[in-house]
Amino acid sequence: MSDAVRAKVKEFILSAFLPGEDPNELKDDTPLISGGILDSIATLKLVMFIEETFNVQVQAHEADKEHLDTITDIVALIASKK
Amino acid sequence: MDFSITDEQRMLRDSIVKFAQGELNDNVIERDRDHVFSHELWRKCAQIGIQGLPVAEEYGGIGADALTCAMALEALGYGCRDGGLVFSLCAHLLACVVPMWRHGNEAQKARYLRGLCDGSLVGAHAITEPGSGSDTFAMRTRAERSGAGWRIHGTKTFISNAPVADVAIVFAVTDPAKGFHGGITAFVVDRDMPGFTRGQKMEKLGLRTSQIGELVLEDVIVPEDAVLGSVGGGAAVFSTAMDWERVLLVAAHLGTMQRLLETSVTYARTRTQFGQQIGKFQAVAHKISDMKVQLEAGRLLVYQSAWRLEHARSAALDASIAKLFVSESLVKTALDTVQLHGGYGFMVEFEVERALRDAIGATIYSGTSEMQRSIIARWLGL
Repeated sequence: MSDAVRAKVKEFILSAFLPGEDPNELKDDTPLISGGILDSIATLKLVMFIEETFNVQVQAHEADKEHLDTITDIVALIASKK
Repeated sequence: MDFSITDEQRMLRDSIVKFAQGELNDNVIERDRDHVFSHELWRKCAQIGIQGLPVAEEYGGIGADALTCAMALEALGYGCRDGGLVFSLCAHLLACVVPMWRHGNEAQKARYLRGLCDGSLVGAHAITEPGSGSDTFAMRTRAERSGAGWRIHGTKTFISNAPVADVAIVFAVTDPAKGFHGGITAFVVDRDMPGFTRGQKMEKLGLRTSQIGELVLEDVIVPEDAVLGSVGGGAAVFSTAMDWERVLLVAAHLGTMQRLLETSVTYARTRTQFGQQIGKFQAVAHKISDMKVQLEAGRLLVYQSAWRLEHARSAALDASIAKLFVSESLVKTALDTVQLHGGYGFMVEFEVERALRDAIGATIYSGTSEMQRSIIARWLGL
């Protein structure tokens, strides 16, 4: 289950925010917000993707570095809502 | 797709046009010249529900959905020639009332919303600072834990309604390490809180009956329940304000564009030069045709965006598109209206020069045109 979620999240981040980049460079612990990959609009797009794809609600205070900074964080956030 | 409007929407629109034309336009040239904000007109607008359009009736509003709000503000912009008053009402409604209604807890709604809706309170939204406008990461206002509440310190500038504001939504950094997402918190600050002053009043090119100025917070102590939304959740509050403001402020601009179009058509049909109506000259007719095209296209964008405010996860992209198109169309429409009025258009008593001065700010406030294009580009993945 979490592997499938992880794969979908990674695929989205690669296609939406890292076009043309080597997929192997994006690790589960690559910093997305603090590393500058996700700005405010990208973060909102990611939240919309999470909500629509996994049928969960992300609260306003969860759209931050603590919950969305790495693929591992994102998968954990989704898992916590299932 | 069904583009018809309901009988209720039509009645609301017509009643606001009649009210605005009858009640809001007296002495507007003098009020604009003297930079007068009218509390009397503010209260009149509250009596017909403008300040509480989308707010539930239990809090003193009339419970209109976002699309109906757009139609109502369009009617206000059409009927009211005092662009500054319309702007002040929109700043209050869209950037203070709506975030309070959407993010406030029950105690905050009970305490503030009725007064904000009934005209007894004027609201402001304070995020811009001397060193940070579009670059919100550069915000210097800080809020730190202090006893059971927070101590806020900083200065906000270019704040619409600030010189007359009774309550303000103030944004401050609460966690510098987290940045805009997670590190900014919105606070509700009353004018009477010690250390909170309304600062320097500024003069501007247009929208002169709307007051603008600084808000200064010198170690203002606010209680924990002054936090609007959640600690670190300021970005969500700000996004709500910007989405509603970008869509519905330009809804009012549509009304102004409609009025300028009608003014231009009337003038072009009655003013004669070289033995014929100037509207028969292609150079004039094409300008007016373009006004009509921009108005109709803008209206579709605004109505669609307003619908998305209620029905979609985010209306941010649509809001930027609508704001960009309508604000630039408003400036062009106002400039063309002055141009085709010739020398009369340059004179104060014809009131189109004021419409142009009022329009100039539209591509600057609520995110410049350059920012809107950058936002749209980011949504496209660029």
